[in-house]
Amino acid sequence: MLVRFWGTRGSLPVAPHADAVLAKVARALKAADGRRFANEAEAAAFARANLDFATRGAYGGATPCVEIEAGEEAFAICDMGSGLRDFGLSATRRCAEGHPRVYHFFLSHLHWDHIMGFPFFRPAYESGSRIIIHTGHADAEAALRRQQEAISFPVPFDALKAHIEFVVHRPEESFEAAGMEVSLVRQSHARGSFGYRFDRPGKAVVYSTDAEHKPEDMDLEEDVEAFFANADLVICDTMYSLGEAVSLKQDLGHSSNVVAVDLCHAAGARRLALFHHEPSYTDADIQRMYDETLRYEEAVRGGRPKLEVVCAYDGLEVAV
Amino acid sequence: MDWRVRNDGGRLVASPTGRVDEESWKAFSTQLTAAVRDAVAAQVPLVLDLSGLEYMTSKGLRALTMAKNEAGGKVVIRLAAPNETMRRILSISRYDMLFPVVDDVDQAG
Repeated sequence: MLVRFWGTRGSLPVAPHADAVLAKVARALKAADGRRFANEAEAAAFARANLDFATRGAYGGATPCVEIEAGEEAFAICDMGSGLRDFGLSATRRCAEGHPRVYHFFLSHLHWDHIMGFPFFRPAYESGSRIIIHTGHADAEAALRRQQEAISFPVPFDALKAHIEFVVHRPEESFEAAGMEVSLVRQSHARGSFGYRFDRPGKAVVYSTDAEHKPEDMDLEEDVEAFFANADLVICDTMYSLGEAVSLKQDLGHSSNVVAVDLCHAAGARRLALFHHEPSYTDADIQRMYDETLRYEEAVRGGRPKLEVVCAYDGLEVAV
Repeated sequence: MDWRVRNDGGRLVASPTGRVDEESWKAFSTQLTAAVRDAVAAQVPLVLDLSGLEYMTSKGLRALTMAKNEAGGKVVIRLAAPNETMRRILSISRYDMLFPVVDDVDQAG
């Protein structure tokens, strides 16, 4: 399995302002300290070896969209955030090379940041595309139709040429899709959200975003740990610090990096991807949160195997 | 995790030892809530002496939040004498912005 992150930011698409890019260039030039490079490739090699990710790269600003490549028969995509536009362009290129035009979507919920990319999803405008939208919400179709009403968007939903079907699932029933066994679980979020687990023989990926793990509900977390059990990769909502999540951001439906680490430790998961980054965070803020998560994991690891932690960014690929 | 609590000159000092993790958080939370109720009844501050604690996971931290909610502003809960690991955890979680943290139990007032 291969997991591609097309959008990793929460709530709102963002892009760095000019002064943020200038600060990165200035830090890079200072680190170069007068060196001369024969070409851009040599300069890039220096940057990779000597600069932190927040300086030489960017975590990106597209809202949630994650592709899980599990076989040749169909695409599998979690959520339709603004990252979906880039996925659609990539999928169009791959279909031109022979990939079937079948798209299985798995919706965590229907908030705007998780569906806003669909009107810009190029394959939806192509008559040869088959789109199957898996959801736990019975009103998913209404949500997608509403955002393409004339007051919000110039192209109505009914003008889309793809064959589009909605399949509403119940949490207690797993199903087969895109070459994987898929199960879902209800999560704490405004109007509810759903986490998904994707299993293939010997491999498992969990997508769990927009999920709040409240202090008063800690008794129920054994169910979450069972859902994450022995997963090779858990993609987790880590939008806030725990201190924020239990105070100023209480009841907004999001989790923290330290709770994500603890759930993965208890579940025996092998790798955690920090996801749904706070839109006001700069790249340096996200890098700091990532570094702190690594230190926390080490501090509370006890006798367990090390949990590998990665910080998702737009464009990241993780082989499972 | 072990737990001791003592009255100490106009304050209640609770001293957990060991680790607070997924195995022990319920016992920690139960003891802590009882100590908060005792402190509220006696109208004295509660000092949590962390010097014997190896570390605390998010389960323990969230138990602190529940204890603070239980106190309802009637008593102050102070965290005292965290080791280096606990100080790091309090900083990473930003719990050092939710609770007063002091270096020494005697400073905790």
